[in-house]
Amino acid sequence: MKPPQRGRGGGVRGGRGLARGGEGSAVRGSGRGGESGRGRGPGRVKSESDGGIKGGSKVLVTPHRHAGVFVAKSKSDALVTKNLVPGEIIYNEKRIFVQNEDRSTVEYRVWNPHRSKLADAITTGVDNIWIKPGVKVLYLGASSGYTVSHVSDIVGPEGCVYAVEHSDICGKVLMNMAEKRTNVIPIIEDARHPAKYRMLVGMVDIIFSDVNHPEQAKILSLNASYFLKSGGHFMISIKANSIDSTIAAETVYQMEVEKLQMEELRPTEILHLDSGEEKHACVFGGYRLPRK
Amino acid sequence: MKIYLLSESPSGYGLFEGHGSDEIGQNTEAVRSSVSDLTRFGRVVQLTAFHPFQSALDALNQINAVSEGYMSDELRSFLELNLPKVKEGKKPKFSLGVSEPKIGSCIFEATKIPCQSNEFVHELLRGVRQHFDRFIKDLKPGDLEKAQLGLAHSYSRAKVKFNVNRVDNMVIQAIFMLDTLDKDINSFAMRVREWYSWHFPELVKIVNDNYLYAKVSKIIVDKSKLSEEHIPMLTEALSDEDKAREVVEAGKASMGQDLSPVDLINVQTFAQRVMDLADYRKKLYDYLVTKMSDIAPNLAALIGEMVGARLISHAGSLTNLAKCPSSTLQILGAEKALFRALKTRGNTPKYGLIFHSSFIGRASAKNKGRIARFLANKCSIASRIDCFADNSTTAFGEKLREQVEERLDFYDKGVAPRKNVDVMKEVLENLEKKDEGEKTVNASEKKKKRKTEEKEEEKEEEKSKKKKKKSKAVEREELTATDNGHSKKKKKTKSQDDE
Repeated sequence: MKPPQRGRGGGVRGGRGLARGGEGSAVRGSGRGGESGRGRGPGRVKSESDGGIKGGSKVLVTPHRHAGVFVAKSKSDALVTKNLVPGEIIYNEKRIFVQNEDRSTVEYRVWNPHRSKLADAITTGVDNIWIKPGVKVLYLGASSGYTVSHVSDIVGPEGCVYAVEHSDICGKVLMNMAEKRTNVIPIIEDARHPAKYRMLVGMVDIIFSDVNHPEQAKILSLNASYFLKSGGHFMISIKANSIDSTIAAETVYQMEVEKLQMEELRPTEILHLDSGEEKHACVFGGYRLPRK
Repeated sequence: MKIYLLSESPSGYGLFEGHGSDEIGQNTEAVRSSVSDLTRFGRVVQLTAFHPFQSALDALNQINAVSEGYMSDELRSFLELNLPKVKEGKKPKFSLGVSEPKIGSCIFEATKIPCQSNEFVHELLRGVRQHFDRFIKDLKPGDLEKAQLGLAHSYSRAKVKFNVNRVDNMVIQAIFMLDTLDKDINSFAMRVREWYSWHFPELVKIVNDNYLYAKVSKIIVDKSKLSEEHIPMLTEALSDEDKAREVVEAGKASMGQDLSPVDLINVQTFAQRVMDLADYRKKLYDYLVTKMSDIAPNLAALIGEMVGARLISHAGSLTNLAKCPSSTLQILGAEKALFRALKTRGNTPKYGLIFHSSFIGRASAKNKGRIARFLANKCSIASRIDCFADNSTTAFGEKLREQVEERLDFYDKGVAPRKNVDVMKEVLENLEKKDEGEKTVNASEKKKKRKTEEKEEEKEEEKSKKKKKKSKAVEREELTATDNGHSKKKKKTKSQDDE
């Protein structure tokens, strides 16, 4: 079980000033600590927007097996990425500041596996996410841009993330985020018609799909035929209930995998993510991989 | 049979010619293997023509046309210029490969250029997309990405109907500027008073206002030269002839020292600066008022521009203000008192920035808390309408203001206020009448109104439930401040859970 948290400590003081809009963040720190000064009582709410990491305690940040991702070790571990735009946070996430030998601070943002399926896959232990510094990623179903921001942290200024999102409201938030991060290219368009945004996208190395649509296999394969290079990779997150809520989850995953295989998308890994309430699976694979 | 390829990129239109098509035939597999290697692909496909877009606006028009599948005039002229001419009656000996059939049929209808978009073309276009920046010599590496970024932003903005006028950042900056200006003008004005008082100390007591003092000191300059001739000018500045005479009298009998002309010029310039700053502050205030009526007309109509702007800037943006629950809005600005009370289990504050609207002052001491809560609820409604409604009107804000007035009357005299359901119905009827009167009714607008009606009805149901609870509380008359604090705590934990 996670130990009780201390109220907002040293490193994260900046967050309160910036995250004014999320009144909740200021409240969360002390609102519950009404009983005993700074300490938090037992019985925490399950859905925290941080990764369970304390603010001011001693934290050691080490690189993860996947390039571009880091692990922050203290009393409880958390997945973090290096902030591409120091000083800016997207969603009231916690930040960790680490001092270098030359006295400069590096800023890391905590990545919450409950919020982001990619983080969930990494913590579950996927073999290879294929996303690393310098690659180009096409992200279908970007939503408000939480995971997109972390992917943009990983690929760094050399790579770029084409974020496709259809909804207007999420699109506005996505565009605000993209204004601060120049390696995110926001495309407010329907992912079912890649021809509509073909002018905006170049060839990408990886496609990441989180659209939760019954025809998502077809969407992925159509986008891959337009934009994914031969030998590129993909990741698709499948929510069993979105495809067909009447049949068993494993059957759904099997069906989707078969659909993908027909379109030259060869899956290499299937991960079951059961940490949330819904049954999810993440399928990783390659496109037009050369036959050995 | 020659095959050409049309490739649309954010920097311009590109036309390519597929050469080795006779060798490859229409074999997709062979094309695929050639794509991976640039030199091999370079023999298969070569650049015929490239037409860069003239401006960002031009590029936006082109992408709008392309994404809908229509052929724009620019595309047409580009194709007709660079493809061999299609003779009447004769079957053309080439064909143009495009990404999708819709635009192909448009091109064929208008220009009789035969288009195809099969798998073979698709593979070739993949290769073109992959090596595009290598084909076009003028493009430096990174240019294409920048063009993509810029075009994507403008395209997406058009999609979400990003309205530059409704950016709330300006209001936040303006409000900060106003506060800073006030502080600075005050300190400068005090400085002018002190400085000039070395020369003419009595003037401080006669003219109290900072701005007028600066003006008068500019008119007088040297008090020894003060005489009857200055009275009309002074009267104009002070708008009071007696005071003007007082000034002249005091000037004659003044104890202050004389200043050299250079010193006097210095004081003059400084006084002028203060006056300019004060004028600028007035203009900035007017600017703020206009901006508020652009981005948040209902909020401004309800509690006034200054308080509304302060709320928005405190929350961070209009969207943040709309997202937070009304209990938060009630104590925005009193966070220090709130957390102190929560930690020491005392009474939480009843109002924050909201206090500065006129309504709280008009309520009796017992009802201040109730009016504060009511006002915060209405402000929440107003800010949500402002943030998410498509068209901006002050109709809702004015009616909400009436509701607050009615509630104040209720606490004073016991006059029963109207139900929220009825008030909102009135507003929507008025809006519809206005639209009919202007004869601008079209189907989509009606649909929007129905949608807002449905939204309002949902809100009304919630609000009428809350109102019933409130009226019960009034009858009881036992509602103490701690009760308020407890209910606020509950609401706060609820919002935390939601987040």
